[in-house]
Amino acid sequence: MLHIYRRLWQVNWAEQWQYRANLLMYLLYWLVSPVVYLAVWTTIANAKGSVNGLTANDFITYYMALLIVDQLTSDITIHVLAYKIQDGTLSGELLKPIHPILTNTLVNNLAFKALTFMVLIPIWLVLYLLFHPDYSMVTLSSILTAIPAIALGFGINFLLGAALTCLAFWTTRVYSLSEFYFALASLFSGQFVPLQLMPPAIQRIADFLPFKFYIYFPVQIILGRVPPEKLVENFALGMAWLAVAYVLFRWIWREGLKRFSAVGA
Amino acid sequence: MASLKLINVFLKVNLQIALAYRADTLVNILINLMWLGWELIGLSIIFSNTDTLAGWGPGELIALLGVFRLVNMLMVAVIWPATEKFNTSVRDGSLDYTLLQPVNSLFLVSFARIQIWRIWDLILAIALIVVGIRFSGGAPHSLNLFYFLILVVCGVLIIYSLWIVLIALTFWFVKFDNNVTILQALMDSGRYPVTVYPPWLRLIVTYLVPIAVATSIPLQGLRGEINGTQVLVFIGVALAALWVATRVWKAGVRQYSGASS
Repeated sequence: MLHIYRRLWQVNWAEQWQYRANLLMYLLYWLVSPVVYLAVWTTIANAKGSVNGLTANDFITYYMALLIVDQLTSDITIHVLAYKIQDGTLSGELLKPIHPILTNTLVNNLAFKALTFMVLIPIWLVLYLLFHPDYSMVTLSSILTAIPAIALGFGINFLLGAALTCLAFWTTRVYSLSEFYFALASLFSGQFVPLQLMPPAIQRIADFLPFKFYIYFPVQIILGRVPPEKLVENFALGMAWLAVAYVLFRWIWREGLKRFSAVGA
Repeated sequence: MASLKLINVFLKVNLQIALAYRADTLVNILINLMWLGWELIGLSIIFSNTDTLAGWGPGELIALLGVFRLVNMLMVAVIWPATEKFNTSVRDGSLDYTLLQPVNSLFLVSFARIQIWRIWDLILAIALIVVGIRFSGGAPHSLNLFYFLILVVCGVLIIYSLWIVLIALTFWFVKFDNNVTILQALMDSGRYPVTVYPPWLRLIVTYLVPIAVATSIPLQGLRGEINGTQVLVFIGVALAALWVATRVWKAGVRQYSGASS
């Protein structure tokens, strides 16, 4: 099995490498809104001294960490899979004796991530020099604790994204559905604003949803703002969501496949 | 007048396309409303934590959101669909058919494909601007309103010119098909007043990819922060940009060698 993953990695890496010129454009997309929100909130914090206890540096460190976490937990499944379901090219992959999503699509995601990450790092360093955040609260152990949290966030995002994409077996409007999902995620994940600045009611909802594992939770760990008892509690909740996402994905995939063969694609 | 007639025909054709996919049109409008809701929630979160953002009140930010959506609408309704088709047509040579027609090729490329349902977006944007201005306290000076309108037109022309230059680059670099992403990516910065950005970013979105010129600056005109001379400068810049863009386009068309090569 490991051998299969390694080979798929080689194929997907080579494939992604072909499009390296476009990467900068994608990254730009990724970078702009966090930088915009960073500017908005630091302006407010500077004018008022602090917002709800958060200083300008708290916002800078938050959004700078977010840039990296967001990229690591992001999922591109819909872009690499939906069209295969729609035009029937998935058939070729179904012939292989491995699960096409949990192998090929997953590895494709990782290859894309690795490549964009390589380009992101120098850009991040430039932003670091421009904003000079004070990262003195970050410790080695907070970064090490964040790694499983990031992996968890990616796992949930990937499985939910795959489940959503598999709705393409039923509807041609899967891209519209994904936009709703994306809007929910960007509000509840902490992409727009650190969740503690949300109205209390929305905070309580966000606390139970899976989206905070994409950004807010790992970022808070990196910044050393999660007390140990909360850490355990949240990891447990994250694992529960991972299990739910997995079951949901397997179920939609199985039912979808039945339809796929039924239309004779 | 021929071009007005043509636009009329384009609108009709595109209306028919939209009506053929009624459910899609409805879904698109729903998604659009959802994003509007999202943006308003965003603003309300900001203003639940502060009274002003760099001196701008909630009403002014709603008006800015309206201008932003207006410019964004023009991009997605007119510019995006045209670009998608244009890039392929340079690559596979089907641009021949456009160039053969006895009308200005730039005009055809720009307006042949329009997402007609976006008219809804236009109405919404205007409503936001009106509500925002009302909300920010009273009617603005009529001269400022006049400046505002002129500056919006100038801003749109400048962005349109930049777009022409970007897509015309395809004539020289055939594989350069992500050219417009840079515009779309930086677009997000237009949602907030340009004064909140650090100087380097302000320079980028004002001079390099002039999103702010089309969003923040008109609003500053409305607030009375821009005088008559500056408005004249913006008109001059817009006309110059358009002139340069058409020259680049013509040079590009001369460079284009057709399908058979």
